[in-house]
Amino acid sequence: MASRDEILAWVTGVLTEEFQYTGEIQLDSDLTDDIDLDSIDAMDMTVRLEEKTGLSFKEEELKSLRTIGDVVDLIDGRL
Amino acid sequence: MAGSEALSGGPTQRARWHGVAERGSLWGLRFTIASYRLLGRRLTLPLIRIVVTYFFLTDAPGRRASLAYLKRVHATEAGRKALGSSPPGFRHCFEHYRTFAVAIVDRLGIWIGNGEGYTYDSSGIERFDQLAEEQRGAIIVGAHLGNFDALRLLAKRMNRVVNVLMYTDNAPLINSIISELSPDAEARVITVDPNSVQAVFAVRECLRRGEHVAILGDRVEPGKKSRVITVGMLGGNVQLPQAPVLLAAALGCPLMLMVALCDGPGHYRVFAEPLAESVKLPRADREAAVKELLEAYSSRLEYYCTRFPYQWFNFYDYWGEFGAADEPR
Repeated sequence: MASRDEILAWVTGVLTEEFQYTGEIQLDSDLTDDIDLDSIDAMDMTVRLEEKTGLSFKEEELKSLRTIGDVVDLIDGRL
Repeated sequence: MAGSEALSGGPTQRARWHGVAERGSLWGLRFTIASYRLLGRRLTLPLIRIVVTYFFLTDAPGRRASLAYLKRVHATEAGRKALGSSPPGFRHCFEHYRTFAVAIVDRLGIWIGNGEGYTYDSSGIERFDQLAEEQRGAIIVGAHLGNFDALRLLAKRMNRVVNVLMYTDNAPLINSIISELSPDAEARVITVDPNSVQAVFAVRECLRRGEHVAILGDRVEPGKKSRVITVGMLGGNVQLPQAPVLLAAALGCPLMLMVALCDGPGHYRVFAEPLAESVKLPRADREAAVKELLEAYSSRLEYYCTRFPYQWFNFYDYWGEFGAADEPR
């Protein structure tokens, strides 16, 4: 069982290591406006987080995600 | 085949192919379809030739683009062999337009006539058979070169669903026309809204079912904040969308190039070539890796353009050399 902090560290790790994101990442960072992810990035990130967590996400679950906090909540709820 | 029951509604709609009359209106598209149904191929061709001649005579920017392209082809050795030694002029341009007319009619024949009367040779498509055995789908990247719709013939042969990813502001209308034409579903259209993740997830679902997803990779959609990369082609620089490569990388699937070129009435040569078995984009230099793949893509387009010069159907300032006034249509 991973803590929310650990999950946030995973998500941050994916963004900084895989996407070379260098800005600040907080729970309220907006995926589109702040992190500048487009739809292909979103898919890329989903695949990587799935590999990391062993989970499988559905389109419906991902459509409503707006912030880093939403991503953490989603994973936290499923783990 | 995955069957015709799947994927109704949503971003993916049961449909055949898109893009018959990119240069004309939807009215023109309906008119063309009606005339093909009424008159058949033999009588539709002269009719389309009249329409295309009208475009040829009235569309100065298109003519200019055609000539600029043909000159680039002529500057290569293979291109001179294909076009003849005299420098491209009015006559070559007209031939370019006339070939476009044939391509339009062939697209109709493939949609409406269900490919009846069309034959093709192919090379490289064995890879698709292997993928079928492995239950894997590929991203197929094509171009406005030859007849991308001939992919439908291939989909039939492969007994495999091919989905085409398209950007359009007119998705509902175009899809309604396409659905009228297509009672079955070897090919479907996934429409893309750049602000939504729906399309990419639809792509993933298709690949997971072992279906292929085709994208035309030679045009950057205007007005979109899409990522592009500049590569060389026919002695100049062009911008290509990164999306096909990024999708294949994100989804871990092979990236295939496919073009179908007409080499006689009703006969096509279909070329399928792997661009990458799996697309790996190293963290340190993603952009360089994407560029390398798109350079490979553009150099293959260049190869086919210089062998089949009249079948390149981008009648706009593709090399961005005319200034701002001439936008893609």
